[in-house]
Amino acid sequence: MSETTAALEEREDAMPVGVLDHYRLYLRQRPVMLALFSVLAVVFFSTVGGLSRVYYAQRQALGNRWFTRGVADLNANRFDAAVTEFRAALLYSRDDYSYQLNLAEALIGMRHTGEASTYLLNLWDREPEDGLVNLELARIATQQAQTDQAVRYYHNAVYAVWPADQEEKRRDARLELIELLLHNRAVAQAQAELIALAANMGDNPAQQQRLGDLFLRAEDYEHALAAYRIALKSDRHNPAVMSGAGYAAFQLGRYPQAQRYLQAAVASDPKDTQSAERLMITEMVLQMDPYRRQTSVAERNRTVVAAFEAAGQRLKACPVPNAPGSGPSMSENWTTLKPKITALELRRNPDLVDSAMDLVFRIERQTSLVCGTPTGTDLALLLIAKLHEGS
Amino acid sequence: MKEANVDLPSNSETDVLVENDRAPAAPAWMHEHSPSALWRSLFREDRFFLVLSVFIGIFAGLAVVCFRFAIDWSRLYLLGTGAVLTPARMLLAPTLAGLVIAVLVMHFFPTTRGGGVNQTKAALYIYNGHIPIRTAIGKFICAALAIGSGHSLGPEDPSLQIGACLASVMGRKMRLSRDRMRLIAPVGAAAGLAAAFNAPISAVLFVIEEVIGRWTAGILGSVVLSAVSSVVVMRWFLGSESLFRIPAVELKRPTELIAYAILGVVGGLASVAFSSGIATFRPRCKALPRWTQYFQPAIAGLLIGIIAVLGAPQVMGAGYEYIDQAMHGQFTWEFLAILAGLKILATLLSFVSGTPGGMFAPTLFIGAMLGAAVGGAEHAFLPHLAVSPGTYALVGMGVLFAGFLRVPMTSVFMVLEVSGNYSIIVPVIVANTFAYVISRGLQPIAIFDMLTRQDGLELPSMEEQREEGILRVEDAMRPVQGPVLDAEKTVDQALREVDHTENDDLLVRLSPSGWSIISKQQLVAMANDGKAAANLGSVLPIRRVPYLHPDHPLETALRYVDRWAIVPVVSRADFRRLEGVITQRDVLERYREFGEG
Repeated sequence: MSETTAALEEREDAMPVGVLDHYRLYLRQRPVMLALFSVLAVVFFSTVGGLSRVYYAQRQALGNRWFTRGVADLNANRFDAAVTEFRAALLYSRDDYSYQLNLAEALIGMRHTGEASTYLLNLWDREPEDGLVNLELARIATQQAQTDQAVRYYHNAVYAVWPADQEEKRRDARLELIELLLHNRAVAQAQAELIALAANMGDNPAQQQRLGDLFLRAEDYEHALAAYRIALKSDRHNPAVMSGAGYAAFQLGRYPQAQRYLQAAVASDPKDTQSAERLMITEMVLQMDPYRRQTSVAERNRTVVAAFEAAGQRLKACPVPNAPGSGPSMSENWTTLKPKITALELRRNPDLVDSAMDLVFRIERQTSLVCGTPTGTDLALLLIAKLHEGS
Repeated sequence: MKEANVDLPSNSETDVLVENDRAPAAPAWMHEHSPSALWRSLFREDRFFLVLSVFIGIFAGLAVVCFRFAIDWSRLYLLGTGAVLTPARMLLAPTLAGLVIAVLVMHFFPTTRGGGVNQTKAALYIYNGHIPIRTAIGKFICAALAIGSGHSLGPEDPSLQIGACLASVMGRKMRLSRDRMRLIAPVGAAAGLAAAFNAPISAVLFVIEEVIGRWTAGILGSVVLSAVSSVVVMRWFLGSESLFRIPAVELKRPTELIAYAILGVVGGLASVAFSSGIATFRPRCKALPRWTQYFQPAIAGLLIGIIAVLGAPQVMGAGYEYIDQAMHGQFTWEFLAILAGLKILATLLSFVSGTPGGMFAPTLFIGAMLGAAVGGAEHAFLPHLAVSPGTYALVGMGVLFAGFLRVPMTSVFMVLEVSGNYSIIVPVIVANTFAYVISRGLQPIAIFDMLTRQDGLELPSMEEQREEGILRVEDAMRPVQGPVLDAEKTVDQALREVDHTENDDLLVRLSPSGWSIISKQQLVAMANDGKAAANLGSVLPIRRVPYLHPDHPLETALRYVDRWAIVPVVSRADFRRLEGVITQRDVLERYREFGEG
C-alpha cells in the first residue's frame, strides 16, 4: 500500500512543471502547508464548536425532561421510579448539582443510604455550605450511629446557606440536632443549643411549647418554664402547656406555682393522670412542709408529728444499715427522739421541730438511696427535704 | 580519518580543524541570526516536527471530540434516551448495527477491523508511517455505530488509530523524511489516546511502552506536545472532568496490601482467561467462510443483547457509567463478579467477530468490576482487611491493564492520573505486579503480539524487547596482550619494547590523555626512515582512536571496530587505565555465541 503511494508520488515529481504543477509545488512548501493547516484548524474548530452547541443543547433538554419526571415521582413518594429518572437525567449531565441532590433524596427514600451518601459527599465537596446536603448527611450519619459526624453536619446545616425560608430551615436543623443530643444524653450540649434556639424562636405558641418540652427533656426547667409562659400568653387553655409549666415549676421547687398550673391542666384535661399525680404530690408537699409561711404553731406541730411518724414507718420498711463506728443508727435516733415528738413537747420546746425534721429529712434521703425514690407521703417529705437543703 | 564521537573529549585542535573545513566568509553569528537563517532553522525537520506535533494534537483532539459526539448520538438513537433500556432495543440495536457494520467493513473499510493499536504499530514498522485516510473514516463510522449500539467495545483504541491516521495524512502532505514519517503515526496515536482517555501522561507512556518501545528526546517531545494539545482541545469542548467520580482513597494499614495482592492474583487469572479466549476464538472466527463474516458482528450483537435482556444491560457499550457506580458501592460483590465474567464474554463476542472497537474500556470495566467484587468479598469474609470497594475498583482497573494489556508502567500511571491520588500508588504497584507476573507466567505472548501474529504480521514485541538481555562491551572485551606504548618514548625505545610481541597492532597511551594505535611495521618503517630518535607521539599516523567503557552496549562497539583494528576499553574513573581491548572479531564472536545461546 505504501509502495503504491510512494510510486505515485515519484511519478508526480517526474511530471513536467506546468502552471498547475507550479502551484502544487508551492502548496507543498512547509510554511504554506502550515498556514493551510492553521486555517483548517480554525474551520474545524468552529465546526466542532457548532456541533458541540447542538450536542449540549440536546443533552440539556433530555436531562431536564428526565429530571422533571423524577421530581414529580419524588414528590409523589415513588422513589423507585424517581431514582431511575434521575439516573437517566444524570446520563446527560453527570455533574449537575440538583440532579445529584434529588437522586440522593430519592435514594434516601429507598433507604439506599450508602449510595445516597456517596452522592451527598460528592456534593458536599463541591458546596460544603449547602444546607440540605449537610442536613441529609447528618441524618445518614445519625442512622449509622456516627454521632460526632452527625453533629458536625447538623452544625454545618444550622449555619449553612438555604435557598428559601432560611431561618425556618436553620431552626428545623437545630431542632433535629437537639433531638440527637438528647437521644445521646448529651444534656449540656443540648442545653446550649436550646438556648441558642430560644433566642431565634418567635412567639408562636406551638414552637414555644416544643421549646419548653425540649428544655424539660434537657432538664433546664427555668428556661422550660419561661418558654411555657410565653406559649400560655397566646394559648391560655392549652392543657399540655399548663402541664409542662406545672412540671417545670414542680422541678424548680416552686410548688405553689406548680399547684396552680397543674390544677388548671387537670381541670382542662381530667385524663391527664401524670399531671394529676404530680398535683397530688405538690399538694402533699405544700401541706406537709412545717416551714411554710402563714401556718399556726399548732398546725406546724401536727405536721411535724405526722412527718416524724411517716419517716419512722419508712425506716421500718426500708432499714438503712449503719456504718461501723458512725455512732447511733438512724433507727436508734428515731426511737430515742420518738417520745419527745408530741404536740405538747413541741409546744414546750420549739427547737425540737428542727431536730425532728432534720432526722426526718435524713431518713428520707438515706432510704431513697437504699430503696429508690419513694411515693406518696415519703416522696413529699423527700421533696421538702430538697427544698430546704442548705437552709 | 573521521574523528570519533563517543566520549572523545573536545580539544582546540579538533575545533580548529572543523572551523577550517567550513571556512566561513562572514562571522557565524551573522549567519545564524539573519532572518532567512532563522526561517530555515524554524522549518528544519526536527524543529518543524515539533510544530507539526501540536497541529496533529489539535486535529486529533477535534476528531476525538466528534467521535465522542457520534458515539453518544448513535447510542441515543439506537438504544434510547433512558437509563433503563427496553428489551426490543437491547436485542435489535446491536444486531442490526452489526449487519450494517459488517457490510461497511467488508466492502468499504476493510482495514478497520479490531482495535487500532497494532495497525498503528504496523504503520510504524511496516508501512513507513502510511495509514490511508479511509481507515480513519471507516473507524470513525463503524466504531461509533458499534459502541453506540451496545457492542462491548470502547472508544480509546479507535481514537488512537484515528489520531495516528490524521498524523500520517499530515505527514504525507508535509513530505516528511522517511524517518519522521515512521514516527508520525505514534505521535498521532498518543494524541488520539490522550483525548479519548483525558489522560495525557498515560497516553504518552502507552505509546512509548507499547508502540515505539524506546525513549529519545526527539520522540518524547513530539509525543508529549501532541498529547497535551489534543487534551487541551478535548477539554475545551468536553470539560476536564475525569471519566469517573473518584472515591476517597486511603491506605490505612499496611495489612491491606495483602488484600490488594489477592486482587492482583485474581486479576492476573482473569487476564489470562480473557486473552486465552481471544487467542482461541479469534482465529476460528477468521477461518470461517467469508460469507459468515457478514453475520458475525450481528450474531455477536444479538448474543450481547440476550445477556442484557437477561439482567445485565451493564455489559453493553463502553460502560463508563457502571464503572462509576461500581466505584461507589452500588452493586453487591456477587453481582459485580457476575458482571466481570459477562463483560469478558461480551467483549470476546464483539472482538472476535471483527467488530471495530477498542479493548481499553472493556478492560477498565472488567478490572473495576473484578476489583470491587474482590473488595466486597474481602469485606464480607475478612472485614479487618478490606477498605472501600471504590478503591478496589480503581486498583482493579490498573490490574487488568497490567495483566491483560501487559503495559505495567502505563497501568500504574493510568490509575494515578485518573484518580489524582498519590496515596494509591503502593496498592496499585503491589496488585499490578502480581497480575503482570501471573499473566506473563501463564500466557507468555502478550495480547498485542498475539493479535499481530494472528493477522500474519511480524512486528517487534515491546514486551520481549523489554525483557531482552543487553550485551555490553565487557561481555566481549578481552585482556590486553602485549605491551602498551607510551607516546613520550622514542620510536627506537618503542621498537625495543615490542620486539618480542606477536601482536601487529599496538596501543599507544597519549599524553595527557587519549589513545592511539600503531602497527609494528609502521614502527620499523619509521626507524628505517631515520625517525628512530623521534618522539613517538609526534610521528603517530593516527592521532586518536575512540575508546569505550565496559558498560557501553556492544552495538556501540560495532560503530568503531570496523574502522580500527583494536579499540581500547578504559575505566570510567580513570581514562588512562586500560580495562581491556575489543576487536571486530571479539564482537562478532560474542554475538554468535549469544545467538546460539
